[in-house]
Amino acid sequence: MAIVLSIDNLSKKYGSLKAVDQLTLEVEEGSIYGLLGPNGSGKTTTLGMVLDVIRPTSGSFSWFGEGISKATKQRVGAILETPNFYPYLTAKRNLQVAADNKGADHSNIDKMLDLVGLGTRSHTTFKGFSLGMKQRLALAAAMLNDPEVLVLDEPTNGLDPQGIAEVRDLILRIAAQGKTIILASHLLDEVEKVCTHVAVLRTGKLVTNGPVGTILSTKEQLLICADELAPVLQLLERLPYISQFNQEKDYVILTLQEGYTSTDLNRDMFAQGIVLSQLVARRKSLEKQFLEIIKS
Amino acid sequence: MNLLRTEFRKIMPYRTFWVILATFVVLMVLILYSSSSIQINGKELGAETYQFPGIWARLAYVAHFFNLLLGILVIVLVTDEFSYRTLRQQVIDGLSRLEAVLAKFYIILALAAFSTIFLLVLGLYFGLIYSSNTTVEAIFSEVDHLSYYFVQAVAYMVLAMVFAFLVRKSGLAIIAFIAYTKIIEPLIHFKLPDNIDKYFPMKAFDSLTPMPGQSLLDQITTPTDMLAPEWAVLPSVLFIALYFGLAYLVVKLRDL
Repeated sequence: MAIVLSIDNLSKKYGSLKAVDQLTLEVEEGSIYGLLGPNGSGKTTTLGMVLDVIRPTSGSFSWFGEGISKATKQRVGAILETPNFYPYLTAKRNLQVAADNKGADHSNIDKMLDLVGLGTRSHTTFKGFSLGMKQRLALAAAMLNDPEVLVLDEPTNGLDPQGIAEVRDLILRIAAQGKTIILASHLLDEVEKVCTHVAVLRTGKLVTNGPVGTILSTKEQLLICADELAPVLQLLERLPYISQFNQEKDYVILTLQEGYTSTDLNRDMFAQGIVLSQLVARRKSLEKQFLEIIKS
Repeated sequence: MNLLRTEFRKIMPYRTFWVILATFVVLMVLILYSSSSIQINGKELGAETYQFPGIWARLAYVAHFFNLLLGILVIVLVTDEFSYRTLRQQVIDGLSRLEAVLAKFYIILALAAFSTIFLLVLGLYFGLIYSSNTTVEAIFSEVDHLSYYFVQAVAYMVLAMVFAFLVRKSGLAIIAFIAYTKIIEPLIHFKLPDNIDKYFPMKAFDSLTPMPGQSLLDQITTPTDMLAPEWAVLPSVLFIALYFGLAYLVVKLRDL
């Protein structure tokens, strides 16, 4: 897979504050790459630097293997923070200005407005739009010249549940066309639902990165009870697929390794003559995992 | 030229832009109308003010007061790009920082061209109605005062642009612009001998449209040493280039 964006030791300092600290990562073609982190973790600063509006203090980055230029910018559609438009211009006029700057074909404008569901509001001025409409107009602007890469910064911020669902659906539809999407978000759920890869940031530092499946594994947690806990604990010591267990009061909480389920455990317990009085599978909450990752 | 077309796309439906421009146009016409009744030494000027070819120098002098208004208009257009964060979006979308500054410079040239042509139309209208001498030679012999006015208008607006890019907030930029042009530099002039401060930006710009009858005034009071309009062009153009470079440097070196 070709590398779309490569970031090498990128740093940004504001006085003594390190907004982004020696960040290194690579985004592969065709992936949906999530930049995940709490507010103030450096997501927007990172995107601002690779989009040429914030000057890095040190480090470098490259798009499609080359330095940033008009040519590379035209292959990337991006929204940084809020939708940025002229409030007194209509939706259509705003997109005409954007199309001029992107060197995009003006015949795409109506098509994009229809795609984001603003076809009937094209002559409304931007200041009359709801937040959801503004976000969708920003998406339309980002896609005007059919870019290979979309960079979206908190695209569902401030939207109602229906708006969030619409935007996510739109992102997945765009990704299905083989485009690369780089998405900054502080919403774990969003990254998990949409992204293929994730990089977790905390106070400007990269905490971890990789495919979503390995970073945010949705491992099952099991809760078991038995009349006698001692033999249960002894057996758990010996079972090879138990990754971790803990006794809490009169029950045991444990996690299994990938590929094993509660059925395996129940069968092995029964084979050793242990009858469980309770066996509950519960999913480890993602928020908890996220907090663990950024705290560790 | 694509940059200018995009700029026009942005300002055509912008009411603030038209209100400021209309203020300039209406006030210019009003002043010109009433200037015939100005009294000097108890004598009404009357049709005297509209005589070719002197009308061009008088027009340029009157119009130069409105350079502040044009400067404010430029400040509004530039600081808007910061408050709407559209400058940032333009750079994300593909403009270089140089192009972002150039786009504003083109608008300045267009505005200066507009006001110069407006003065030409105004001068021809009042001149042809009231002037006693309407030979082609009389009409156009001193029309070059309008070209000095053009340079001056560009210079004022480019200086305003520097303040706008530097300060980013419209209110503060307007205050800084007026404070510099009307207070700070005149104070510096006050401390320096005329033969040095005549090359200072504000003084050089104002030399482009000298007050009509300045020579008469100089005979009564101590003459002020000013550059002749034709000699003020070169330093003015140099200052314009310097200001443009300054605006570009500000945009290049700072985060957007």
